[in-house]
Amino acid sequence: MVIQTENLRKRYGRGTEALKGLNLSVNEGEVFGFLGPNGAGKSTTIRILLDLLRPTSGTVSVLGQSPHGNAAMRQHIGYLAGDFVVNGRQSGHELLRYLGRLRGGVPQARIDELAALLDLDLSKKIGSLSKGNKQKVGVVQAFMHRPKLLILDEPTSGLDPFLQQQFVRLVREASANGQTVFMSSHVMSEVQQTCDRVGIIRAGELIAVEHINDLRAKAFRKVEVRFQAAVDLPNIAGVRDEHWDGNVWRAQLTGDADALIKAIAPHHVVDILSEEPELEELFFSYYQTGEEK
Amino acid sequence: MSVFLKSLRDNRRGYLGWSVALTAVAAMYASFWPTLGQNPELTKAMDSYPQSLKEALNLQDMSKPENYLGTSVFGLLVPILLAVFAIAAGTKAIASDEEAGTLDLVLAHPVTRVKLALQRLLAIATALTLITGLMWLVVTALRGPSEFTSVSPGRILAVCVQLAFFGLFFASLAYAVGAWTGRKGLAIGAGAAVAVLAYLSDSFLPQVDGLKWIERFSPFEWYLGNEPLKNGISGTSLLIFAGLSAVFIALGTWRFNRRDVAV
Ligand SMILES: Nc1ncnc2c1ncn2[C@@H]1O[C@H](COP(=O)(O)OP(=O)(O)OP(=O)(O)O)[C@@H](O)[C@H]1O
Ligand SMILES: [Mg+2]
Repeated sequence: MVIQTENLRKRYGRGTEALKGLNLSVNEGEVFGFLGPNGAGKSTTIRILLDLLRPTSGTVSVLGQSPHGNAAMRQHIGYLAGDFVVNGRQSGHELLRYLGRLRGGVPQARIDELAALLDLDLSKKIGSLSKGNKQKVGVVQAFMHRPKLLILDEPTSGLDPFLQQQFVRLVREASANGQTVFMSSHVMSEVQQTCDRVGIIRAGELIAVEHINDLRAKAFRKVEVRFQAAVDLPNIAGVRDEHWDGNVWRAQLTGDADALIKAIAPHHVVDILSEEPELEELFFSYYQTGEEK
Repeated sequence: MSVFLKSLRDNRRGYLGWSVALTAVAAMYASFWPTLGQNPELTKAMDSYPQSLKEALNLQDMSKPENYLGTSVFGLLVPILLAVFAIAAGTKAIASDEEAGTLDLVLAHPVTRVKLALQRLLAIATALTLITGLMWLVVTALRGPSEFTSVSPGRILAVCVQLAFFGLFFASLAYAVGAWTGRKGLAIGAGAAVAVLAYLSDSFLPQVDGLKWIERFSPFEWYLGNEPLKNGISGTSLLIFAGLSAVFIALGTWRFNRRDVAV
């Protein structure tokens, strides 16, 4: 287990209890999506893992050790927050060299490779970079030392779609490399493309943990079948909202596609289109009610 | 030593700027000695001031260069400016960084909070050494041209060393409040309040009946009270400054190592 928390609680001062007994386990090598509405306690959890915050009660273990006062453990962690801020009066090179030195050295070739992938000019003063370009500097410092564990808190905020795609690539690469990724995000497409499992936190409690494939199975996806001519279809398991538009049959499918395929098989099918399932709506239902499966 | 070196590098402009500015102020006053100090009119005018005002303003017999230097050069503007620098630097070490949200990133790296804090303090101590060292060199070089050769380089060094410790005291205070609370405003406020109190309790407050004793507790008194330009370094003064700075640093660091780091 790379990350494990038991009954983790965090109260800020005498005020809000941001975490109310969080039990979380993240396995080695997986990409774990940590989702939840604003103020749910994602950043609080993440900052406890990094020993920036001290829990009120409960236990935390990261890479098999307690984070408390454990600087050596952070050697194996890469961290990126969505609002990546650093002193702007230094160049990207200067910052990365410094952070690399704190880690005992990172090969310059690796830094250059990442900068090239993200199309980032490291010789510019960070203060003069746009928000997205600043965030890229953050991406580089998190990934450059190939840490065992990446802890990412809304990492792609401010990145354009192309760069979000590059980011997805980096996460997949890290995952293929055996690194573990723990990532909070509000961007469903990147969650869908990278995560093995997702945990959903609401008001300081973990309300569900699901394999992304199970979620996919539960989610609706749009299907479209173009026939040679309109046909009579029986009731098909998992299909709803069906309607005809000329020779084109459209519907929403949930779960297994087998019944649908068997039902249309006897007819002349010109074309068939099935969209990537939309997990967004599924998450909405979790965010709002927090019940359901 | 990465944090120490980076701290020096990040602040290089500020450190150099303050060194040059403070040294320029000291050099300017020192070079006025031939015109101001040896001016009989001025001495006579000053004689007519009431004794209490002279004590309050630290005015002494201006016909001796060590008195002139102690009062005008090292007596007011230079220590006050140095205190301003020290308070700003001490605040910057933790509190400013934390309020700007930039402390998180460094602390997510394999460096302990204690190490980070101490290396940044070491950078401030280096800056104080640089500032007072440059001041010593330049004021010493002015001995001939400005005709105060009767004050030895060793005596000038003494006042510069005590000045550096005076600065360390304010830097440690501002550091400690900032490290304890994470709040820039509090650190600057505490530093400024102590500086003002320190000045008042070495100038006007002791004139008040029954408040003479307060002088003994003023950092200004520890800094100049033994008249280092005449008597050389006071071990007691250095010990008081070093001891209090150590206590401040220990307390601030102790708390910083235990508390939550704000976003
Ligand atoms: N320093 C703080 N002092 C007091 N309360 C805080 C502090 N930081 C966070 N909180 C509160 O704790 C709760 C959880 O906040 P947290 O930042 O962990 O949420 P989040 O899930 O990261 O939200 P978002 O998606 O908006 O980033 C919120 O109610 C927030 O108001
Ligand atoms: Mg957050």
